Amino acid sequence: MSSFFQIIENIVKAMIFPGLLYATAGGLLLAGLDRKIIARMQRRVGPPVLQPTYDFLKLCGKETIVPHVANKPVFLAAPFVGYVSLVVMMLLIPIGGYSAFSGKADLIVILYLLTIPAVAMIVGGSASGSPFAGIGISREMVTMMAYELPLIIVFLSVAKLVGGDSMNFSLQDITAWQEQNGPVIFSLSMIPAAIAMLLIIPAEVGMQPFDVAEAETEICEGPLVEYSGFPLGMFKLGTAVRIFVMTSLFTSLFLGGITSGIHIGWTVCGVYVGDLLVRGLIHFAICAVITLLCMTFIHAITARLKIEHLFKFYWTVVAGLSLISLILVWIGV
Amino acid sequence: MNYTHFPVISVMGLFLGAFLVEVFGSKNKYIRNTIVLLITTCAAGLMLYLVKPVFIDGQIISYWMGNWEPVEGYAIGIGYEIDALGMFFVILTVLTIWLAAVYSIKYMEKDSHLGHYYTLFLMLSGSVLGLVCTGDIFNMFVMIEIMTFAAVALTAFRNKKGAHLEAAFKYLVVGCVGSGFTLAGIVLLYMQCHTLNMAQLASILHGNLTPVSVLALALMFTGFGVKSFIVPFHAPAADAYMSAPTSISMVFSGIVNKAGVYGMIRLLFVVFRVMDISSVQIMVVLFGVVTMFIGVTMALAQHDFKRLLAFHSISQIGYVITAVGICSMKGVVSGLFHAANHTLFKGLLFLCAGAVLYSTGTADLDKLGGLSKKMPKTTICFLIGAFSISGLPPFNGFASKWMIYQSLYDKAVTTGNFFYIFALVCAVVVSVMTLASFIKVTQAVFFGQTPAALKETHEVPFLMRLPMWIMSLLCVGCGIFYRFTGNNLLLPAMKSTFNITSYIDKMMGEGTAAASGIENITIHAETGFEYWEPVIWLVLFVTVLLAVFIVTLIGRRDRGKVLSTKEEADGKYATFFSGEKSSHSHVAGSDLFWGFKRNWKGYFNVMQKFHSGNVNDYSLMAVCCCALVIVFTYIVLL
Repeated sequence: MSSFFQIIENIVKAMIFPGLLYATAGGLLLAGLDRKIIARMQRRVGPPVLQPTYDFLKLCGKETIVPHVANKPVFLAAPFVGYVSLVVMMLLIPIGGYSAFSGKADLIVILYLLTIPAVAMIVGGSASGSPFAGIGISREMVTMMAYELPLIIVFLSVAKLVGGDSMNFSLQDITAWQEQNGPVIFSLSMIPAAIAMLLIIPAEVGMQPFDVAEAETEICEGPLVEYSGFPLGMFKLGTAVRIFVMTSLFTSLFLGGITSGIHIGWTVCGVYVGDLLVRGLIHFAICAVITLLCMTFIHAITARLKIEHLFKFYWTVVAGLSLISLILVWIGV
Repeated sequence: MNYTHFPVISVMGLFLGAFLVEVFGSKNKYIRNTIVLLITTCAAGLMLYLVKPVFIDGQIISYWMGNWEPVEGYAIGIGYEIDALGMFFVILTVLTIWLAAVYSIKYMEKDSHLGHYYTLFLMLSGSVLGLVCTGDIFNMFVMIEIMTFAAVALTAFRNKKGAHLEAAFKYLVVGCVGSGFTLAGIVLLYMQCHTLNMAQLASILHGNLTPVSVLALALMFTGFGVKSFIVPFHAPAADAYMSAPTSISMVFSGIVNKAGVYGMIRLLFVVFRVMDISSVQIMVVLFGVVTMFIGVTMALAQHDFKRLLAFHSISQIGYVITAVGICSMKGVVSGLFHAANHTLFKGLLFLCAGAVLYSTGTADLDKLGGLSKKMPKTTICFLIGAFSISGLPPFNGFASKWMIYQSLYDKAVTTGNFFYIFALVCAVVVSVMTLASFIKVTQAVFFGQTPAALKETHEVPFLMRLPMWIMSLLCVGCGIFYRFTGNNLLLPAMKSTFNITSYIDKMMGEGTAAASGIENITIHAETGFEYWEPVIWLVLFVTVLLAVFIVTLIGRRDRGKVLSTKEEADGKYATFFSGEKSSHSHVAGSDLFWGFKRNWKGYFNVMQKFHSGNVNDYSLMAVCCCALVIVFTYIVLL
């Protein structure tokens, strides 16, 4: 009987919190907030916060056209794989100190799982056979090569800070460490790494000024140029969830342990639902602030970079910042 | 059953098969194929029978040729000795040989002089198998020579183009330089120790390194380095892998360069036991890091399918060497795992390249395109191989790369040496570059638009697809159940790398190891890789995917309406072309990654000078590198 209950619990985790429903709703809201605030900064009224949701629902009703040069199964499967792998990522990241399955993957695994959605988009775009998509995937791949170097250095510095002389890549342990010693960002040596991570997030999500791969005005959304209807909606949904995943990752790496003191004793079947609710809400609020900081503001004031400038920027400035952190942590400042 | 005869029967059987093919099978293809399949299947079966005694019962198989057992503690005859480390490489070898034999039947049928081909193929197989089975260092050298010459001849087998002969010539010259180093090392060792048996050498050399034996170590290390094509000896490999028939390229990258790696491990860990010196570790890791980096960056610049794979082969060997060089238990486990995975996914990728070459007649990435509609099964196999080598979870390449990163980080924090962090960052960057270059192949060969010349392409026959499916299944299986592989194959192999007392005692009699002061170290049972659960990830993935599908199916009202792709004439189903009528426009391999190449222009210019294509330069590099290794080992070890 207990195993049956466990299965139910796991399904609830996967489907509702922090899985499918929470990730999707949170991602769509973040994307909507982003659009609304940019509009306000540009003195427009802007779309309603729920506009990404409406867009998705509208796209579901549209016809799906598969170009005749496309490889149909791959073309249609790619958006699903990308979206689902992002939702599963959400399960592996601790949300407000609550770990659904987070003992099952460490930072390096997360680093590699993060590439799956990008690869899904690249393979899907490639399978469409469009020359615009060809240019788009080339740029997407170069972007990926650009941010992967600083990202691994950021992860290494966090791991070194938390692990000390023993190794520690586990996100759960990083959260536990922060509950004891306060958030990672409070140690001075980690501030450059945090800034670097904040600069990596927009490139990972594909936000201006790092949206060279999708560049609507230039190469017609690159990999997505041939997508229409429901698969396009899936990709848009995936981008929204990716915002949430990346900001959640930042939260659990640098701002963990903030909500650990909160206890509301409301239980359903032995699960602290009240705690989860409050922590989930606070977590979402923090993610919204980060989105605002690293995506909305930068988006509002910058224009798109060229791909070679993007690559240079990440391998010099951002990698430099994260390297400073790593060296500082290594020599024990 | 007395299974101690099995290794020698397998090796001799393969050599015997080489002659039988030439004598009986040069005219009739049925006789020829029967002989080849029978011999390779028997060899594989006999060797796989030894998995139980070696891995599960923990035995070491030894066999003295002609029953020439040691006299007064000195080994005179040639001895075969298979411990778990050797057995691990034996499994890779027989698997690759068998799959290559099956693949060859259809793949090579359009060529002439197939009797010669199979003779050389069986010679190559027998020599690699002999190399990993033998316990005698001169026998090892003989096998290396047979291997090199069979490989050279096979490189030039399709000699209609001058480039193939040139490739063979480069391989021959640089390979012979390597063999020369190895032979010189062996001669010096024999002079010093008066024996050629590796077990006895290990017991004599333990704590007893003289200037002559250090020179021998440096020479042999370089010699095996040449055989495993690490940088700076890698240049002939790219040409050879490209020119050889693809079934042979697979054998080259699957087992011939692994033979070099095996030689290095045997040499450094067992015979000389110098790996616990940190400077030697750094030297080996440095070789590995440079190899993986130069290999992958060169691969990014290639526009021939097989040449690109060849450079990736070099790069992945860099990973193996790096991991082995760490010399922690985790490091050796991950290195061996990556060696096995490399055999699987690189073999698979070469077979896919062979399928493309077989169907289209070209391997030029700028001339291919859109093959996924013509060859869907090959495309699936290729994608599995590409995802594996790029290290996407949950495929096998990810599991082993992840272990390598863990070991490197572990090493960095235990030694406090920043160099290992640098190596780790390099390894991650190389991994993403690997992904980039396979995205390039995917786009250039399988997706995009089909050129007019390739409209009539067809899927390859079943006999060619069978090895590809087997490899694909193993790639996925090893990735998801990596713990099973780890506990049953890698741990015993790692133990026998570090604990060599039973290796010595089995050959030279009980107590030999103890008499020369070699002791076993304690090996922890657990490997310390607990934070990756591919099964749970996969279950979650499938659950969520199912949920999304169900929601989709419920939500859709127009199920029948969509997804028509037939009407080619209808402009609605053409690709978007800025509002114009779409014409053939394929983004080919050379068009990709402009932003990256531009930033790295200076580096690529240097690399272009470095790969001059001149065999004199390559030989000179090999000799210079050997000199450097000699100087380094003298400084460090004496």
